[in-house]
Amino acid sequence: MVYLVAATQEDDLAKVRAQRPELWRQVRRYNKPVQLALAAADEVMRFANDPSTAAVISLAPCQPGSADLYRWGHVVTSGMASGTLGNLRMNPTQTLHAVDNLAMSAFAIAHRNHAYCLGLGGAAGQAWCGIEAVHERLDAGPEEEALLMAGDQEAADDEAPGLGVALLFCTRAQPLQPSNRIVRLVSISRSPAIVDAVPHAANGLAALLSSIAQHRNGLMSYVVPPAHTDGFSNVIVSLEIS
Amino acid sequence: MSDKRRVVITGMGALSALGATTRELWEGLLANRSGVRRVQRLVDSGITVTSGGEVDAVSPENVERDHEIANRAIDDALAESKRDAAACGFIWSTGLDTFQMGPEGFVHRSAGRCFSNLASRFSCPKRMIASACASGTQAVGEAFRLIRQGQVEACVAGGSSVMLTPFYLIGFAGLQAVAVDNGDDPSLACRPFDKKRKGFALADGAGAMVLESVESARERGAKILAEVIGFGMSQDAFDLNRPCDDGAGAELCMRRALADAELMTEEIDAVNAHATATYSGDLAEAAALRKLFANRWREVPVSGAKGAIGHAMAAAGVLETIVAAQTCATGIVPPTVNLHHVDEGCELDHVIGEPRDVNAQTVLSVSFGMGGQNAAVILKRGSNG
Repeated sequence: MVYLVAATQEDDLAKVRAQRPELWRQVRRYNKPVQLALAAADEVMRFANDPSTAAVISLAPCQPGSADLYRWGHVVTSGMASGTLGNLRMNPTQTLHAVDNLAMSAFAIAHRNHAYCLGLGGAAGQAWCGIEAVHERLDAGPEEEALLMAGDQEAADDEAPGLGVALLFCTRAQPLQPSNRIVRLVSISRSPAIVDAVPHAANGLAALLSSIAQHRNGLMSYVVPPAHTDGFSNVIVSLEIS
Repeated sequence: MSDKRRVVITGMGALSALGATTRELWEGLLANRSGVRRVQRLVDSGITVTSGGEVDAVSPENVERDHEIANRAIDDALAESKRDAAACGFIWSTGLDTFQMGPEGFVHRSAGRCFSNLASRFSCPKRMIASACASGTQAVGEAFRLIRQGQVEACVAGGSSVMLTPFYLIGFAGLQAVAVDNGDDPSLACRPFDKKRKGFALADGAGAMVLESVESARERGAKILAEVIGFGMSQDAFDLNRPCDDGAGAELCMRRALADAELMTEEIDAVNAHATATYSGDLAEAAALRKLFANRWREVPVSGAKGAIGHAMAAAGVLETIVAAQTCATGIVPPTVNLHHVDEGCELDHVIGEPRDVNAQTVLSVSFGMGGQNAAVILKRGSNG
């Protein structure tokens, strides 16, 4: 059995900076999607029995989420055009922004986590692969808890809105925080379909959480909106809420 | 293992600096030859890193290069396996986004969009792996896991990378991870475990494997190239830019792969090492392998491919798994190209100068990603019996 035991969304880094200064010191050099994912993960891991042994499944941003990196891309390509690349030096922090597994690595370092990890890339609909992987892993693997986290940004701009989401799953029934209801993940099913997807690592999971919050107790079949799928399949997430 | 499905490899495709086929990759390694060379477009750009592992089969001018390179490897693997893409899942890494100059100026190419385009002809599951340099090996391992659990009958697994651009070369140079040009023979740029190592040579490339259940392969009469018998992952949880000195994270993932395969270290005949030729990476890897094999570490042949093909990032792990499969099939361990004088702290039973025929049947292949993700798979000689 797999239960969703904690979930949160984070979209306000100013609040994180003001209210969680220790976390902010850890994440301030990363790009916004990674900061938001880590802030959300930090929040849900307060409910974990042991953050160091949870399986970690992390979604890379779908959008070109680092404004710094995007600016650097322009600098490099302009330098190529003008033949002035020889003197360019890249800030190593910006190199980190390009790395697809940055949130997962930073989380592991912060929580001393050596467990199974799966980084999923920035393609549309990978969030549902993440939930499938949580289900497979907690069904068969040695872990008792699994974190799924994602962060993304609408555009590579400092001011563009972003969203971080984190979900903590456990093999033992516990009330979902902060709702206090038991939410069991029953299955994820797919059927082939060609639909228009809008790549975003976090929006799909946020919509699922909103739907869970609004649903009465009982079986819930969440039909993933086409925009949040991978573009190749209809996805239904089945949950039992009590 | 008796209640788990067995998983075999029935097709492989590779594009690397040594050529556009798995055969050219293997024969280049056996000949102790490096495909890394000075790349004129890098020289022309005026940057300090001018050597790399270029894939000649697809022109650098081709704006669809990321798709082309990946699809060539995928098509070769499917053709060898005689399987249809629509009957396979797709577990793949397209690496990192690229930033380059196009005909109309700055172009950002999303790795996610590349994945979605490649995935369109496959069935579910379609998972894009993102574990930096460990991605290719993790893709193979995840496909193995899904087939073994009965979630899917067959998968194409692997990775592709088109990163031999000034953008990434300047970035990795800032991390002191790549070998800068100092006028040396460019084919010597990447020297794993060697006293003169100075970092890796960045490379483009793609590697693909068709994995399927042994029942499916036998039913189809497919030739079994090798069997995958174990997979392990771990995180260093140490530092974003370097591994811990004792290689503890790397050792943990190798031990997990052994446990998954229900093997003892004594049953490993050879190792295909990550061998990036970075100062700290090679030291940590050698330390991890010595601890893993304990008093047997002088007896287990170790070889790495990056001296010959450079570091193809998301493709590196699967290209190296293809080499490991060839070792299983032939028993031969290729030499580590450009390794001449083993550095202090890097001591292992390195294969140097020429291939070694040790009748290797069980091979451990490992990848360690930037940020601390580690992946290991274990392959065994295939049998159609």
